[in-house]
Amino acid sequence: MSATEKAMEAFVHETGGWVAAQLEACTRCGMCADACHFYQATGNPEYAPVWKMELLRRAYEQRFTLVGGAKLALGLDKAITDEELAHWGDLNYEACTVCNKCSMVCPMGIDIGSLLHGMRAGLAAAGAIPTDLAAAVTKQVNEGSPLGMTDKVWDQRLEWVADEWEVEIPRDVKGATTLVVFSSIEVMKFPTNVAAIAKVLNKAGEKWTVSSKAREIVNFGFYEGNEEHTKLFLNRVLEGAKELGVKRIVVTECGHAYDALRWHAANWIPEANDFEVIHITGVLGELVGDGRIKLKPGAFDNDGTITFHDACKIQRKGGHIQEPRDILKILAPNSFKEMTPNREESVCCGGGGGVIAVKAADPVRYASFELKMAQVNSVGAKTVTMTCSNCRLQYTDSVEHFNLDWKVTGLAQMVADALVE
Amino acid sequence: MSSQAVLEFARGPFFYFALLFMLFGLAYRLFNVISLGWNKDRVVPMGSKSKGVVITFLKAFLIWPFIPWVKDTFNRNPLIYIGGGLFHLSLFVVIILGTPHMLVWKSLIGLGWPTLPLPVVDWMSAVGIIAMVILLINRRIHPVLKLISGPAEFVAWLFVFLPMITGYMMTHHIGGSYEALYARHMISVDVLMIWIPLSRISHFVFYFFSRAIHGQEFGKRGVAV
Amino acid sequence: MPEETIQQSLASQGVSRRDFLKLSGVLAAAMGLQLPPLEKSGLPAALGVPEQISPTEQTILNALETKQRLPVIWLEFQDCTGCTEAVTRSVSPSLTNLVLNTLTIEYHETLAAAAGFQVEQAKQDAMKKYAGQYILVVEGSIPTDLDGSYCVIGGRSAVEQLKEAAAGAAAIIAVGNCAAYGGLPKAKPNPTGAKGVWEIITDKAVVNISGCPAIPEATTGVIAHFAIFGTLPKLDKLNRPLTFYGKTVHDRCLRRPFYEAGKFALSFDDEGAREGHCLYKLGCKGPTTYSACATIKWDQGLSFPVQSGHPCLGCTEPNFWDGGGFYEGQSAPLDRPTITAVGAAVGVGAALGIGTALVNQSKKKAHKGES
Repeated sequence: MSATEKAMEAFVHETGGWVAAQLEACTRCGMCADACHFYQATGNPEYAPVWKMELLRRAYEQRFTLVGGAKLALGLDKAITDEELAHWGDLNYEACTVCNKCSMVCPMGIDIGSLLHGMRAGLAAAGAIPTDLAAAVTKQVNEGSPLGMTDKVWDQRLEWVADEWEVEIPRDVKGATTLVVFSSIEVMKFPTNVAAIAKVLNKAGEKWTVSSKAREIVNFGFYEGNEEHTKLFLNRVLEGAKELGVKRIVVTECGHAYDALRWHAANWIPEANDFEVIHITGVLGELVGDGRIKLKPGAFDNDGTITFHDACKIQRKGGHIQEPRDILKILAPNSFKEMTPNREESVCCGGGGGVIAVKAADPVRYASFELKMAQVNSVGAKTVTMTCSNCRLQYTDSVEHFNLDWKVTGLAQMVADALVE
Repeated sequence: MSSQAVLEFARGPFFYFALLFMLFGLAYRLFNVISLGWNKDRVVPMGSKSKGVVITFLKAFLIWPFIPWVKDTFNRNPLIYIGGGLFHLSLFVVIILGTPHMLVWKSLIGLGWPTLPLPVVDWMSAVGIIAMVILLINRRIHPVLKLISGPAEFVAWLFVFLPMITGYMMTHHIGGSYEALYARHMISVDVLMIWIPLSRISHFVFYFFSRAIHGQEFGKRGVAV
Repeated sequence: MPEETIQQSLASQGVSRRDFLKLSGVLAAAMGLQLPPLEKSGLPAALGVPEQISPTEQTILNALETKQRLPVIWLEFQDCTGCTEAVTRSVSPSLTNLVLNTLTIEYHETLAAAAGFQVEQAKQDAMKKYAGQYILVVEGSIPTDLDGSYCVIGGRSAVEQLKEAAAGAAAIIAVGNCAAYGGLPKAKPNPTGAKGVWEIITDKAVVNISGCPAIPEATTGVIAHFAIFGTLPKLDKLNRPLTFYGKTVHDRCLRRPFYEAGKFALSFDDEGAREGHCLYKLGCKGPTTYSACATIKWDQGLSFPVQSGHPCLGCTEPNFWDGGGFYEGQSAPLDRPTITAVGAAVGVGAALGIGTALVNQSKKKAHKGES
């Protein structure tokens, strides 16, 4: 089967009534373009979300509709080619974070992000994936982590974290209530986050554990849009949870992993519903709300203005919008300032959806970060906090790239630092 | 053939055919989509899906059309919001609240309602026509719209524009005898009705799907949009 | 006595020179020949003697003084005699009488004193005697099915009689919607195969004075025009004299301001109806009906249907019986699909849609099976 045929088959497979109804609803008004940070930053019309899913629409019309079939037969439309797939692969993997802001402005309310995910399924089937992303997927298949966090590395890093910050990290505890699965980004690049979460959970007296089997929450199969890979990585987590007999799985500060496990897994793997899946932001909100942990009020009020970055997968697509604000109102009642637009209307960091893993995407990634820079600067913030390590990676990388004097931190870390002993 | 005969054809058999063809085509399109299979969503929701649907429809009908600047994208491209909004408002006023059109509905569904004075409807139709022209120009010059627009978009534009301009000419007796203008208007309306199921003008059917999906998806996640 | 001039004939009947002058003015007005303001208003109300005789009136005067009276053959087929009634009775009597005095009616079933073979013979004689000179007026539609046997007079079909009379006519005038366009007899399902005169007589110009009945001033005006000028007046595409059919009822309607203001009567006894609001919503066909109804009016300019509270039926237009319900809005479609037809269209569409979707689903399944 040629790449195109594979892509077409994947498109056909992706397209049920749910997708078809939304493809039919599109009026091609182009309003989604102005929601896209990549379009805003570059002015490249090809970055309009409607254009990024062009192949999915054409595949649907050609395969499923009479008008589309007739157009194909009359030569008004052409069959999709391998070159087109490659081109759309670049558009989708380099200039789309699947942040779904476009869905917020679509006058028809089309869930464009989901359709773009369907688009990725076809591109992945055709192999029209950037080589670095494909390599990361292979690495996760073989080694269990795209960042090379093998069994051994994981073991050493956690040991080190436990030593360095003097926190207990319970491992493979059977009968624990909560399984916490960290992302390799945190373990490898933001170890303070791991320590912070451990500290908070211990303080709250939560019966929690990590699992050597379910050690990686990151899901590069989901970035890629390959269902088999996605399921493989999800199953690793679910099997680990099953083995330990936990009730709930806490996804730490990782956006797309939360999206995959919380909002999609049950539709691929029914057993996912055996566990409650919750993001660490939700847990923090719960612990603070229930009084299980106490925070020093105003602990961060003297560090200059703090602002909060809403992550697409955790706030807009994840629903944890209010908790961070409630916590920040305790931690920095005077210095916390909101960016505009914020909450579910927030502007994406520009590095999600696997974009940060693609080298070729660097120019547009940095360009789109300039929007974020303008936002942060307009509130005069020197500290930016967030609940997603992927966003945090984009921030730290871009802060370095643009030589900014901001402090980039995570919410869990702030909570841990402000715990009343 | 006299204008009267053309008019009789356009108001009679042609209208009859066009209406039935439109209903046939829309039913085809609708059921083609509905029967394509809908996967059951097994995900445990965080918020209420139905509440999300209700909220998004309320916002879409009551808030966004009247205060579009609550959307931050409004400031980046106000033209398309205002143009598109006025166009649809004009359609509503003319087709639902214009006396002659109300009588069409009355004859078709047996239900009438009060209408607006002619000058109001007339001005609104002028607004709609101007909005359409501006939207066309925008489609020709905006880089994104230029990229995503093919012949289908321009044909659809034309077939929507013709009934509007012929209707306006008819009200003002420009360009021929009344029944000639009336005949032109009716023919353009008939053509439009035939074109609706063949084009994206049918979005008004699928709008209710996509908007409901939007409400479901965000309601499920406890985000009120 | 056609040999007499019209003026002589009138004089012998005691019409004074003064009345004769008055008649000239009236005729000019009736034919729309008068100079402004009469021409503009179209109203024959100002029937007084003009202070001075205008050039137009002088022309008519000269014509009436010199021309011979015109022989007229008036045939009635599938009609109700309403147009005859209108012409003979309903207008200002002096006008009708005087105009009739400019003619000699050689044959008219309703008006003729004679009957049977005698009157048929008289008609034959007249057609021979005035071959190429007489005016043929037709009232009523002509049935064509079953060899025209739906209307037979004196043992001969209407079609045959019409063709025979038309052959020697100097001018043919179809009076009323039936004679012009088939009228009521032609309404669906048109059981007799009724046709208007101009559909049968195609080698000669037929003037259509449509209406139900035709406005008598239009009938007499056209006859007078031919009597005076020897030519037919200017006609529109449907062969109606432009003088009387140049504007729509809507264009000249006294309720027009209410249309513009969006004030409508919604029923025949509501406040709007009492206030004289526009009858558009009650089905008025004024906007597409060409007629001088709203200006000349009826019964000496007393009133016309819309003025007295009834929507225009559109009786001067072809097929007005089938042009949508009389009390249904003008904009309403003429053919409305029945629930069954709508159901069938939607049902077939849905069935085909589901069928296509099932084919599409099998495409999806085929893919799943492979993977």
